[in-house]
Amino acid sequence: MIAVLLLLAVGGMVAGMLVGRAAPRLWLGLTLAGIAAGLAAAVSVLAGGTEWEWHSAILIGGEPLHLRLDGISAFFLVLLGTVGGAGAVYAHEYWAERLHPRSARVARGWWSALVLTLALVLVSANGLHFLIAWELFTLSAYFLVTLDRRQPAARAAGWLYLGASHVAVLALFAFFALLAARTGSWDLGPMREHKELAPLFWLALFGFGLKAGLFPLHIWLPDAHANAPSHVSAMMSGVAIKMGIYGLVRFSGWLPMPTGAGWVVAALGVASAVLGVAFALGQHDLKRLLAYHSVENVGIILIGLGFALVAVEQGDTMWGRLALAGGILHVWNHGLFKALLFFGAGSVLHATGSREMSRLGGLWRPMPWTATLFGLGAVAISGLPPLNGFVSEWLVYLGLFDATQSHSEAAWAAIPAAILLGVTGAMALACFVKVCGVVFLGAPRSAEAARAHECGGMMRGPMLLLGAACVAIGLAPVLFWPVLARVTSAWRPGWADATAPAPLLMLGGVHLALAAAAGLAGWLLWARVKQRGLARALTWDCGYVAPTARMQYTAGSFAGTITAWFAWILHPIVQEQRAEAVLPAGASHRSHTPETVLERVIEPMGTVVMAVSGAVRRRQHGRVQSYLFYLLIGVAVLAGVVLAGGEI
Amino acid sequence: MNNYLNLLIGLAMGLNLIALGSSRLPSLIRAVSAQGIVLGLMPLLLEHHPDWRVLVVVVATVAGKGFVIPWLLRRAMRAATIERELNPLVGFVPSLLLGAGGTIAAVAFARLLPLLPEHAGSLLVPGALASVLTGFILLIGRVKAISQVCGYLILENGIYLFGLLLIRSTPLLVEAGVLLDLTVGVFVIGIIVDRIQRAFDSLDTRKLTVLRE
Repeated sequence: MIAVLLLLAVGGMVAGMLVGRAAPRLWLGLTLAGIAAGLAAAVSVLAGGTEWEWHSAILIGGEPLHLRLDGISAFFLVLLGTVGGAGAVYAHEYWAERLHPRSARVARGWWSALVLTLALVLVSANGLHFLIAWELFTLSAYFLVTLDRRQPAARAAGWLYLGASHVAVLALFAFFALLAARTGSWDLGPMREHKELAPLFWLALFGFGLKAGLFPLHIWLPDAHANAPSHVSAMMSGVAIKMGIYGLVRFSGWLPMPTGAGWVVAALGVASAVLGVAFALGQHDLKRLLAYHSVENVGIILIGLGFALVAVEQGDTMWGRLALAGGILHVWNHGLFKALLFFGAGSVLHATGSREMSRLGGLWRPMPWTATLFGLGAVAISGLPPLNGFVSEWLVYLGLFDATQSHSEAAWAAIPAAILLGVTGAMALACFVKVCGVVFLGAPRSAEAARAHECGGMMRGPMLLLGAACVAIGLAPVLFWPVLARVTSAWRPGWADATAPAPLLMLGGVHLALAAAAGLAGWLLWARVKQRGLARALTWDCGYVAPTARMQYTAGSFAGTITAWFAWILHPIVQEQRAEAVLPAGASHRSHTPETVLERVIEPMGTVVMAVSGAVRRRQHGRVQSYLFYLLIGVAVLAGVVLAGGEI
Repeated sequence: MNNYLNLLIGLAMGLNLIALGSSRLPSLIRAVSAQGIVLGLMPLLLEHHPDWRVLVVVVATVAGKGFVIPWLLRRAMRAATIERELNPLVGFVPSLLLGAGGTIAAVAFARLLPLLPEHAGSLLVPGALASVLTGFILLIGRVKAISQVCGYLILENGIYLFGLLLIRSTPLLVEAGVLLDLTVGVFVIGIIVDRIQRAFDSLDTRKLTVLRE
């Protein structure tokens, strides 16, 4: 049954790749049909509870094909199917033939390829095939990121993404090769009893962490997410970086863990969460800002996973289960609301042609659907009740709070982690108040923003679907507990608890009540407005005689206070000419938050490497005489070492 | 016995210096050929009961190093119509000084090495080191291909001298094999020299740098 569904899914995607160039409608139909088949397979595994495993005699690269769809794979496959399908529909209008005659054809084929290879990563249970699928997924994503390749920024972003991905894949090559060398087979599966495999986890953490956008390995992420077309950004942020999380969850479940791994993962998670949102606050580019929130949310996921690993080490199932469930559920939640937000940002970009928040403003009026749905996503990502973001963060909080009562080292670490998680949520809220305020409220800051128009049904539909999913998880979290239990039992057999924890039940009730109250309040307000009508009045204009749209809060000024707290790591670049004297000649202010890790760490390191390589390269000039001289010096040095009593 | 051997090695060390100091290619080739003959005779002194195999090796070494290879080099020289090394990278006087310094250093250095008692009094190790150094100086300091071949030959002579330390444990056949390689190598270089000369009108190896990739 599952095999047939998966075969149908693969057939749909391959057929989609073939017809994608010529027939957009047929492509959309095939892609959606394939995704539906894949989703059905994943849901039946999650609901039915039986793992699907297939050993085949077919050799690929000398290794027999081994596929496996268990709870963890199915969980990620559901996210992939949802965002992949929504993105395909969205792209039909957003990246249409009419607007992008050249790249729209290519985009369809690569989209199918990306979804297919991501699914392959999820189901392959052979190290070699995992690597092949991983590499193909990286390449498909590269071609999608650089779809708009006439823009130099898109090309540069693609290049950075490809370079960073290859560093990651290098670590993964080492990881899988060492794993195969020590176990004697490329076949993957639970091997928790091989204690000698534990140190390999560090390689996996680097490789998968780089792909997941973990701080400080996130350097490629802001550029790639910001410069890719918005449906691709949604896929990258919603699903592609989750593959790094998948790898970490998968192999932390299958392999024995080195001591302290949980602490490291949790610490990296906290750093990613706090610094990711700090960087996001400093951004003026709408999509770049959303990209930094991916770093933040990956951090939240890893706080959950990290504390679950700590619990494994201490044998404390009670709170570890909650932390893990929170982290895992946040994978879905972030995938859903981040895709929704990127679709919303794409809709704004589509309507105004600008990602620069200081050129937008007042879009609520011309784009009510986009504004409402973006607002919904913003509430969800800020972790506010009654939406899904709060549910997963609540589970992580529950895990941390229960850990404080466990009378172990975890108790001490859980308190600061919970506080920092709270700080992260507050800053995310500030950040999205800034975004929604600057982009959708106020008056249009530019002519493009004034001419904005609402997006069409094909773009609105996917946003509605994702928004509805966010609301569903928010209002009925208990329904999703069995899914989390399934993933937990695939991660550590015996950890799962089929009955949902009582606080989750209560949370669902509170959320429903809150939603009902909010609906009622909204309805009352609306009725009042209808009854009495609206009276328009001027806001207080600070005494200016002729206020203009430019006299509004900008993105930079709104977040100024908080970015100043983090100036030690953000290093914002500010150029300003203050208005001085009685009749000032002119004044200007310009600020920009660079990618500090890339510009202050990676680039100087790269410069040093290039200088050293260049110097070595100059030594290779083709003169035999000098080469012999190097040889003589080398021999003399070796002789010196030997005489000095050294070992060679 | 040891005295005769040391005399021959001293002679070879002197020939090193002559090779370093001579700017004319014919005298350089002559020094190399003389050194080859001197070294070729040594197994006779080292082997207490020379049998016919030692004799064959001696004859082959003397013929190869003393006559065949120098003849090939002279032929290449005539084909290329060059007589002198005009612009060496390391001048003749500096290379002579370097060679002399190297020889003294080699003698001093050999005292530091943990040698077998029967080799302690002989000049075999200092001679070998001095020859290897001389070979390197020639290879590094000279630009004409023929001078470099000579440097290579002297380097090989140094290795041959080291090999003589092991004459009891290593069959001379190994040395014969090395000699054969060398002869073939010189053949090849002779042919290449001829081709380079025809293609570039010069034997200056510095001009070969475009071939580095």
